[in-house]
Amino acid sequence: MVRRVLTLTSGRIALVILTVIALLAVLGPLLAPQNPLATSDNTLAAASGSHWLGTDYLGRDVFSRLLDGSRVSVLGSLEVALMALVVGAIPGILSVYLGRTFEWITLRLADTLVALPFLLFAVAVIALLGNGITQAMLVTGALVSPLFYRVSRAATLAVARSPYVEAALVSGASVGWVVRRHVWVKVLPPIAVALAQTIGVGFIIVSSLTFLGIGIQPPAPTWGGLLASDLGYLSYQPWAPLAPALLIMITVWASNLLADAIRDVSGEAGRAFVNNRKARANRLDGPEPVSTGGV
Amino acid sequence: MPAHLITRRPGPNRRSSQGTGRLRAAALTTAFVAVLAPVLSACGGDSAASDGGSTLKWTSSYFPTHWDPVVGGSGAQFRELALTYASLTRTDESGKAVPDLAKSWEYNDKGDEITFHLRSGLKFSDGEPVDAAAVKAAIERAQKQKNSALFGDLTSIKSVDANGLDAVLHLSQVDYQIPQLLGQRVLQVASPKAAKNPEKLDQNPVGAGPFVVTQVIPGTKALLKKNPDYWDAKNIHIDNVELTSAPDASTVVSGLQTGVYNFADLDPSQASAAKKAGLDVFVQPGFNASNISLNVNKAPFDNDKVVDAVRHAVNRKEFVDKLTFGYGEVTDQPFPKGYVAYDPKSEDAYPYDPAKSRKLLADAGYEPGDIKLNLVIPAEDPQAEIVQSQLAKVGIKVTIKIDKNWATPFFAKDLTLSLYGTTGRDSAAQTLTAHFGPNGPLNLSTPYEPDGFEAAIAKVRQTPLDSPDYTQVLQGATRAGLKSKALVFTYSQPNLIAKSKSISDLPKNPAHIDWTGVTINGGN
Repeated sequence: MVRRVLTLTSGRIALVILTVIALLAVLGPLLAPQNPLATSDNTLAAASGSHWLGTDYLGRDVFSRLLDGSRVSVLGSLEVALMALVVGAIPGILSVYLGRTFEWITLRLADTLVALPFLLFAVAVIALLGNGITQAMLVTGALVSPLFYRVSRAATLAVARSPYVEAALVSGASVGWVVRRHVWVKVLPPIAVALAQTIGVGFIIVSSLTFLGIGIQPPAPTWGGLLASDLGYLSYQPWAPLAPALLIMITVWASNLLADAIRDVSGEAGRAFVNNRKARANRLDGPEPVSTGGV
Repeated sequence: MPAHLITRRPGPNRRSSQGTGRLRAAALTTAFVAVLAPVLSACGGDSAASDGGSTLKWTSSYFPTHWDPVVGGSGAQFRELALTYASLTRTDESGKAVPDLAKSWEYNDKGDEITFHLRSGLKFSDGEPVDAAAVKAAIERAQKQKNSALFGDLTSIKSVDANGLDAVLHLSQVDYQIPQLLGQRVLQVASPKAAKNPEKLDQNPVGAGPFVVTQVIPGTKALLKKNPDYWDAKNIHIDNVELTSAPDASTVVSGLQTGVYNFADLDPSQASAAKKAGLDVFVQPGFNASNISLNVNKAPFDNDKVVDAVRHAVNRKEFVDKLTFGYGEVTDQPFPKGYVAYDPKSEDAYPYDPAKSRKLLADAGYEPGDIKLNLVIPAEDPQAEIVQSQLAKVGIKVTIKIDKNWATPFFAKDLTLSLYGTTGRDSAAQTLTAHFGPNGPLNLSTPYEPDGFEAAIAKVRQTPLDSPDYTQVLQGATRAGLKSKALVFTYSQPNLIAKSKSISDLPKNPAHIDWTGVTINGGN
């Protein structure tokens, strides 16, 4: 699938951006040119050679804080996405096979979770369990999980009723074998789309919570936290919110772009879409068609 | 944020031309609204109300969470409650008690009884008379009501006799601070009839102040109109007040520019923008003092050398420069310089000296990094980051912990290290006991008190305010209090205010917002 995504320009752009962001998350704290927590008397300084993005209200290097803060945002969004995947996709597939009681319970549970506003719920969880981004992200992941539940259930239902699956079951194949051999292959593409999309949503949630000063103990830098603090000093540094805002926007945009690209290349329709593009590209590369006559 | 995600189905994306058209229309509509909204809001006036009277539009950082003064306590929101509640006394520009509901008062010879003579013919906004019975009810309610935040301030008052317009207060000790004490911060007097239902009073205030509340939207907005029955109504020139809870600091200036407000508490970071916008920016004098609270009952602050190390590690100027943009002042006392209780002899007793701080820690047996402390605060606060950074420089590792339930462990004196900021009290003796007294709410080290403080504060109470040696006695008490190892004062946050030029200057009463004589051009 990765190769097919790479055939699309949008897929290539998205993967490059997300790879850079992932590298920032891993290496950001090491790449930071200065100690992101070190204060100085040089407060609210403009961008310069020593401070590429200037300094904040306590004289800390903003560029170093952005690099250092990328890890929290990336890890937080991955926590949301993975939690939602695990909590949503597995029951979604099993709901087709484990009987009507399990199906009824999980459907009602999914309906209930969809009704809860996840940002407010995350704030409530932090108030209850203490200030930490991980617990908030895990709970948010559970609230987002109905997306995965519905996607995986819909895909499983489509496969489960197909003649070749029924034939496999009649032939004595176990449900587990059928799921692994037939269902998972069909469920994977929509789940991949949902996963990429949820990572983007996770970024927004992490940024929103840290913007509100929730989930992170100061002075730990975060993109949302930097954005929030910059807004207080607009009259001194009107450009300052641009850097964290752009980082958040680009990352979310890339996640959605990746989701679009996966959707475009997955499934039979997607395969045909890619093949048509390749064929068109080949025609354009080949000799000009010769007229066969007529007026 | 809604909890719905749009599911994307596998397959090529096909956007219809109809969908594109709708999108463009939506974008155009959004752009039109975005352009129109500021234009329309800019059309708003900044002074006149729709009914033609002058309107004060005050957005406040201290919008009252409680409108019952007994529950609200003596914190900063007393300024907003003073719009609708009057008190027995108020303070003048020097901080001295002057008449308010009481036209005069006198002590007995011994100093353990004071009689307040109330003005005649006054009534609360519900029509109840303002008399000594109302004062007695107010004091007794503050002393006895279950959720009172004031009972600790009134321990000197043993009982009250009501004789028509004369309220006689019998004191448990000689205490000449009572006229200072019973000002706007501690005894805003509510109608006794309304106060019979404290829950209702808490949302529907009934006082005898300069304005009458006509509507309260809890936590958001309150509408008030001038009280024609206020004793000094002739000097109140504002017809209406719209009090709102302050929005994000970065939007206050634009709100002032567009006329949404004409008076606002201002964060120092916005002062520059407010001045550029042509607004009046000024500092209202006050008693604000921030401190680092240490618990000397807990390690490592049970070691005097560690306490001294912290005292010398604090660079107060950094707080002023970074947090107040130069509008605040460094302080090592709970009083501003020049105030009667400020003790010049205690000034700069522990100057910033990180080398000395490190030596003290070494003498106490601590290597750099040995001391690890949690600094527990209720909300994100740059002060904490400065404290963390300054203590790190002398080898004390501080971890900032935000605890939304901070008040419980703080006032239970369970924390080892925290921050607090007072807005002061009208009675200097009250300020001192709150910080340094053995049961002072701001003394994190209860029951600790510095040697000699109890005697010094008793002497203050026993000294009449007009006594020639009052200043000397009071400053002596401050000096005794400042020997406390439990508090390191850092800086004074300014009471910074921005207002429209249409509003005339305010009286410079410390920490108070006094509307007497204030006019709004175009409204009167």
